[in-house]
Amino acid sequence: MLELKDITAGYDRRAPVVRGAHLTLRPGESLGLLGPSGCGKSTLARVVALLHRPERGTVTLDGHAVTGFSHRAPRSLRTAVGVVFQQPRLAADPRLRLRDLVAEPLRATGRRTEAAARVGELAERVGLGADLLSRRPHEVSDGQLQRACLARALALRPRWLVCDEMTAMLDASTTAALVAVVEDYRDRTGAGLLAVGHDPVLLGRWCGRTTHWNEIVKD
Amino acid sequence: MTPPATPPPVLSVEELSVRFRMPAGRYVEAVTGATFALAPGESLALVGESGCGKSVLASALLGLLPGNAETAGSARLADGLDLLAADERTLARTVRGRRVGLVPQSPAAHLTPVRTIRSQLEETVRELTGTRPPALRAAAEAAAERAAFPASHLDRHPHELSGGLAQRAATALALVGDAPLLLADEPTTGLDRDLVLRTVDELRAHTRADGRALLMITHDLAAAERIADTVAVMYAGRIVEITPAAAFFGSPGPRHPYARGLLDALPERAFAPVPGAPPELGALPPGCAFAARCAAADQLCRTRRPALTGGVACHHA
Amino acid sequence: MAETIWRPQGRARRSTRALRVRTSAAVLAVVVSAVLIVPPLAQLDQQAVDLAAKLQPPSWAHPFGTDDVGRDLLLRCVYGLRVSLLVGLVAALAATVIGTAVGAAAGALGGRTDRLAMRAVDTLSSVPHLLLGVFVVAVFRPGVWPVVASVAATHWLSTARIVRAEVLSLRGRPYIDAAVSGGASRWRVAVRHLVPGILPQAGLAAVLMIPHAMWHESALSFLGLGLPAHQASLGGLVQGGRGSLLAGHWWPTLFPGRLLIVPTLAVAGLAGAWRERRNPRRRSELTL
Repeated sequence: MLELKDITAGYDRRAPVVRGAHLTLRPGESLGLLGPSGCGKSTLARVVALLHRPERGTVTLDGHAVTGFSHRAPRSLRTAVGVVFQQPRLAADPRLRLRDLVAEPLRATGRRTEAAARVGELAERVGLGADLLSRRPHEVSDGQLQRACLARALALRPRWLVCDEMTAMLDASTTAALVAVVEDYRDRTGAGLLAVGHDPVLLGRWCGRTTHWNEIVKD
Repeated sequence: MTPPATPPPVLSVEELSVRFRMPAGRYVEAVTGATFALAPGESLALVGESGCGKSVLASALLGLLPGNAETAGSARLADGLDLLAADERTLARTVRGRRVGLVPQSPAAHLTPVRTIRSQLEETVRELTGTRPPALRAAAEAAAERAAFPASHLDRHPHELSGGLAQRAATALALVGDAPLLLADEPTTGLDRDLVLRTVDELRAHTRADGRALLMITHDLAAAERIADTVAVMYAGRIVEITPAAAFFGSPGPRHPYARGLLDALPERAFAPVPGAPPELGALPPGCAFAARCAAADQLCRTRRPALTGGVACHHA
Repeated sequence: MAETIWRPQGRARRSTRALRVRTSAAVLAVVVSAVLIVPPLAQLDQQAVDLAAKLQPPSWAHPFGTDDVGRDLLLRCVYGLRVSLLVGLVAALAATVIGTAVGAAAGALGGRTDRLAMRAVDTLSSVPHLLLGVFVVAVFRPGVWPVVASVAATHWLSTARIVRAEVLSLRGRPYIDAAVSGGASRWRVAVRHLVPGILPQAGLAAVLMIPHAMWHESALSFLGLGLPAHQASLGGLVQGGRGSLLAGHWWPTLFPGRLLIVPTLAVAGLAGAWRERRNPRRRSELTL
């Protein structure tokens, strides 16, 4: 269960971008959250991924009330949520080769030995050719880089996935391919999904249920 | 009076190719043999996945390629000027803004953050039309009006504008020079659906009614459908299909298998990706670049590259 | 198909940059090899006093002339440059290490640490460099190390500011978020993502600081607060030649002064070209 209660969050105390948001996701459920750009849905996505501390409200993840965010969140809780961002260029360390980018979560959690095998498996799953793995971000296209970012998000087999406008920069075919990868992963593992976006047709097709930003914030 | 002859195309691109010199004498062929023409009032949408070479094509037309690029072919404006052969001075003084207007990808980044929209519009009007104060103020306001940018927001800075208004401000700047050709590079990326539709509708209005031509580069097929008279599909650096938009999106539909796959990937349709991945531009196969991903490919496809004939480059269309 | 005729595109800025890089590198190579090779090979003693040949203008025997006690100025200049370069190098390195450590800690930890560190930087910056330098030197006896300490103590401030700003901007990137989400500890984020990100900036700051530190050292020596007279640096040589300047002997001040400028320009030329090459906008132009 993933539960957000009365979340108020932002970057300036006097003007929070999210006010009083409520959200509940059952295990295995997929929810599409629609909203106009700049409404605060990306901030909410960061709260769900335990990356941003809300000013008010509670987040409950699989029965644990989350008390710390970002580095203050226990590692096991942080890694239970995989996250994919809108702009792959900004979400990839420009110095890392794609191979290292995908392996990073495995190494960071002390699973060095299985990294090599697992990276190969993940790359195949997201449709990333072996020759691309030895390139750096500036040598691949947005679509290829986003595939690597999705592989990284799946590396630790998260129970929840947060996709924040994951396909906004991508063409139709890559969009369909990445959505298929996410759905395939969810079918196998029963992970829950929060997909944030602004395209009702896409999210309607992708998610079991969609909701609009106006329906989850109180005021 | 004799009826006017067909007006010359605003832009006619012939056999345009761009390649990048890489270390060790290798070349990456980003664009190969692109040929198309744009009539006054026509909108052409150039679609394709990221990395297919469509942005390189746009950069070539604006003379904004990096130092390791080489071009071939020609891209002539109505008056015969070849954009590929023109020197930087000609491009800067007489082409950009005056004969080719650019509608940028992210207006927020395109506008100077520390100055108001009014001051940026006035500067552009002064540079491009030579208008001097006191007429400048009115001219800038008229320019804003044309792009439906509200006069009440002229004294704001870019960060105080919504995404839609920022896009209109950028469009207003692109329209100032009254260029016969507008070039829009991914103008709708990252915008909300409603805003996408409004932006393309506005671009459309500036095109058809005013006799301008529009070249829009996009990966957003819904936006392309809304605006285009003609659709050109690019794959691995080549235009593989160029068709009237009505036939492409309606009946009989695209003829090239890749274009069909791209359209079928839309969530409105089958939502099924084209299988496989595009080839590397530095190592293109000898035959059709799409053969490896194509269900209909045979020996001919793998050995001979199909030419663009009758608007489609496919042995089996 | 007809043969395709390719024409080059883009502006030909590359060639002038290449020339600048080559010239700067060549000049720097000459200077560095001179100070490395000449002293051990020299037959002459730079201290050799020859009162009979005092204050001779430049000639074949003494290309830079001689000073007021007849010492060969070319040899003196090479030795002086050696001292100046050494002091500049060590001081710049020390200043960069201190500045990077303080700046990175302030930027990465944020909060109170950040405020405290930056107020300290502001306070120190408000004291004139030379005054602070004079104070440090005055506490110790004249010598190389007090001068290095004095230069380092006053020059890490700007590096700290640059590094802190860089860390702050990197910290807001989504890839840091992605690393945190992937279970990376603070330490891992710092070592794997933040430090490699700031190294180019810090490195550039360090290189540009070498000439800066050389000038600072020379200023101290010129004021007589730097190195002892027998260990003349370029600043000390200029100071020594000042007396004969009034008598119309221009060479004892001119050559050491010019020698200070040459490596400065060469380093600036190289660093500028390097920064241009690293400029992400130029690099990303190739992205298809």
